[in-house]
Amino acid sequence: MMAYILSFIIFIPVVTAALLGLFRAKRRLLRGGAILSSLVTLFLVLMVVVQFDPHGGMQFIQKSSWIKSSGMSYFIGVDALSLVILLLIALLMPPLYIYMYHEDRKGYWYNMMLLQSGVTGAVLSLDLVLFYLFWETMLLPIFIMIGKYGNGMHQYNSMKIVLMTILGSMSMLFSILYLGYVYFETHGVWSFALNDLATLEFDPQTFIWLAAGFLLAFSIKIPLVGFHAWMAPAYGSAPTPAVIILSAIMAKLGIYGIWRFGYGLFESILTYYAPVIIVLALIGLLYYAIRAITEDNLRKMFAYSSGSHLSLIALGLFLENEYAWSGSLYFIATHALATTGIFFMIGLTYKRFKTVHISELGGIASALPRFTFFFAFFALSIAGLPGTGGFVAELLIIIGAFKAHFWVGVFTATSMLSAMLYIFWMLQRTLFGQTRNSCSDYKDLSKREVAMLLPLVIMLLVTGIAPSLFTPFFEPYLQSTLHDVALSLGSLR
Amino acid sequence: MIEELFLALPMAIVVLGAFTLMLLSHKKGMNLDRLNLVAVFFLTISLLLEFFSLGDHSINYLFADLFGESFILDDFATIFDLMFTAGAILTLLINNDYFKSRDYINGEYFALLLFSVFGMMMLSHAHELMTAFIALEIASLSVYTLVGYHKNNRLSSEAMMKYMVLGSMTGAFYMMGTAMIYGAVGATTLSEIALYVNAHEMGELSLVIVGASFIMITIMFKIGAVPFHAWIVDVYHGAPYPITMFMASTFKIAIFAIALRLYLVDFASINSFWTEILQLLTILTLFGGSWLAISQQTVKRMLAGSSIVHSGYLLIGISSLGLGSELAAPAIMFYLIAYFLSSAGAFGILSFIASQSTKQMRYEDFKGFAGRRPYMALLMSIFMLSLAGFPSTIGFLGKFYIFTSAIESGQILLAALGILIAFISVYYYFKLIAMMYFYPSEREQKIFPINISTVLITMMGLIVVWGGIGTSLIPFIPGADGFLEIAVQAIQSLK
Repeated sequence: MMAYILSFIIFIPVVTAALLGLFRAKRRLLRGGAILSSLVTLFLVLMVVVQFDPHGGMQFIQKSSWIKSSGMSYFIGVDALSLVILLLIALLMPPLYIYMYHEDRKGYWYNMMLLQSGVTGAVLSLDLVLFYLFWETMLLPIFIMIGKYGNGMHQYNSMKIVLMTILGSMSMLFSILYLGYVYFETHGVWSFALNDLATLEFDPQTFIWLAAGFLLAFSIKIPLVGFHAWMAPAYGSAPTPAVIILSAIMAKLGIYGIWRFGYGLFESILTYYAPVIIVLALIGLLYYAIRAITEDNLRKMFAYSSGSHLSLIALGLFLENEYAWSGSLYFIATHALATTGIFFMIGLTYKRFKTVHISELGGIASALPRFTFFFAFFALSIAGLPGTGGFVAELLIIIGAFKAHFWVGVFTATSMLSAMLYIFWMLQRTLFGQTRNSCSDYKDLSKREVAMLLPLVIMLLVTGIAPSLFTPFFEPYLQSTLHDVALSLGSLR
Repeated sequence: MIEELFLALPMAIVVLGAFTLMLLSHKKGMNLDRLNLVAVFFLTISLLLEFFSLGDHSINYLFADLFGESFILDDFATIFDLMFTAGAILTLLINNDYFKSRDYINGEYFALLLFSVFGMMMLSHAHELMTAFIALEIASLSVYTLVGYHKNNRLSSEAMMKYMVLGSMTGAFYMMGTAMIYGAVGATTLSEIALYVNAHEMGELSLVIVGASFIMITIMFKIGAVPFHAWIVDVYHGAPYPITMFMASTFKIAIFAIALRLYLVDFASINSFWTEILQLLTILTLFGGSWLAISQQTVKRMLAGSSIVHSGYLLIGISSLGLGSELAAPAIMFYLIAYFLSSAGAFGILSFIASQSTKQMRYEDFKGFAGRRPYMALLMSIFMLSLAGFPSTIGFLGKFYIFTSAIESGQILLAALGILIAFISVYYYFKLIAMMYFYPSEREQKIFPINISTVLITMMGLIVVWGGIGTSLIPFIPGADGFLEIAVQAIQSLK
């Protein structure tokens, strides 16, 4: 059982979906099945967490040949980095299903289950072709969900996100093929396993091109500034569960990809790209923040806010020091929690007021106190309210930035300020101020909605107040990886 | 002699079936259902015989004392024969409803289809240029007639004229090329040409090279490579759905059978002469096909345009072959199998829809299709994803092998271009998926009819997925590995 536990975690949702689809399950059965599958996976993930050894490196490895003749293998495993995202996915699915509780459209549930399997598979796979498979397949549910259940110009926006993302993944595919072929040429056998390909050596010129293939894919997914054309339209059109997966999980997978495959394959060459990416991330940090200030649509506003924070995470990653790296990894988790919360609140806002435009909202606080509390809490935790996890993470990244370079530190520090700016202004206009809708007609949060939001609040507070509970899990990983990076850089010089 | 007769049976049975059908079609009490069944019966026997003769190498040439080396017997030909008969059986069974829904279809229709299968089988066995030509013409003539079968339909007649006139003209190129090669070599059997080519320097072979280039023009025309593609969209559009399906999936493969045989065995040592020409053709074909596919309004024409793009991918494989790539030949074979499965499935669904209505299938007509027919939409999406080369389908592995072969032969830029074109193709394939899923259906859901065509389409959908993710770990069900093994087996028997 324990040997195959990761496979169970990946495939339980999709198999549940397939079985339910095969027997043409009615809506209630479908809902029950989806929730049950998410709870079972959560339980299994918790089992992995309990048995996880922080000093053990890659664990729960399962490797077997998949397509033998071309050396593709079914190779999965978990280490501290993937464990964080794995845990996030498992934790976020049950609240998402609670949010969708009254959802009648059956396709919604199927797509969510497929999506869970897709993102989990992408996080756990250590074979590049397997990773590519999950990386692409997780796009399909998003494509359908935005295109079918979205709003606004959803058909167009759905096509846009798919085409842009596939452009990135095609460039990654080229790099994967080239790496695989070179491995075949030098060793005489095919392999696409990460640890095999990491042993290959190239001249720097080829290396730079190959790394570019991967970086393009991940930059589009994050998205770094310049690759973000899909972001605001997609966030604006997507239904709430899809938005949450997009910003809480899939954008993080872009970061994860750089971390795992970028540093796994090209650790020495990423330093070459570091100045470019750091500049892009700094620009993104400010640009997205400014766009967020001026944005009237709440969904798009937090799309930009999310872009700004993901730029911050990418920045921390490329600073390549211990503070920034632990900050980035910590921020991956806490930002996912906070962003899930705020997009839930936006979804609930839409359910109540049928609008997500700031200019059409106002004076909610006086009528809906519970709603206001949660809305304000998640918004502030996005801005990095002390006492929530985001604060700790941002602080770590800023310290790391100052450690790397004074001016980088200064620019990075503006992220907290600018976030405060748009969050407070937004809160003032939506929750307080003049009452635009006759709010008294609307119900406050129901028990079900509170039950869905409360775990997020608790987790944000725990991560903010007691970060020392979590650091032992990933610090050994970060230290050893940084050590490797430093070593390979040393050998380059 | 008896054993040779046995080995000739698969081809003979198909001809016999064709004649039987011609006779039966005038018998009273025969309806299309029964005729179809008869045709499938003969094809199935042929398929089974082919299957059991796979791996039998006791005899190299069929009726050697009669025909010399005209007909070769090897696994390469047998595997192609298997694909032709399977393709014809699928065409007949999947389109059963379509046949009944159109009043212009009668018994000769099936006879012609069988004749064309016979021509293709002969083509894959042909080991002599004249035999290959006759085989090609048998197959082509039957297909010309089938394309124009709906003679009261303007589009159908136009398609037939276009195809036949242009096809015959390129046939003349083939004859000219054969004559030139005969002039130089003094023989037309492939083994003697290969001997001659190997024995001489490149400079002394100008006549052979010109002749082989002429033959190449015919092949390029038949597979629809740009700039010989002008006919393809109109012909695919004008032909009845079953014939479009047959042409796109089966007939195209037959052309690759002879092309692979010629350029792998015959002209192997002078392949490098065509490298630049082929690369240029490949680039033109990829871009031209993509442009054609993007600009179409109806799904059938889009698939026609995209079939040019797929020829382009195969040309990438062929030009890597010329540069000495080891992986290229199995890659081409695998790609052919993958393309055969996915395009036959896609056209099968189109023809299934066409059997229920006489609509022109424009993109807009697919709005809300997923609401009306969820399973059909799912299957169509699978075929579209496979054609686009999305991972977890067999189409992905096909592209995977083609591109690695290009990288192996050092054509990095061509591989990158192929990936770019694959990206462009995502647009027009996903457009159909978007149409099917993104719009609400105005009519209510229809029941998934369980009959032979839908069962077969479902099976093909499963094979397409299993061919992409199937692993050899599960015994008895050959996955992607199994298909690749078949491809490798076919190529090895050539050498």
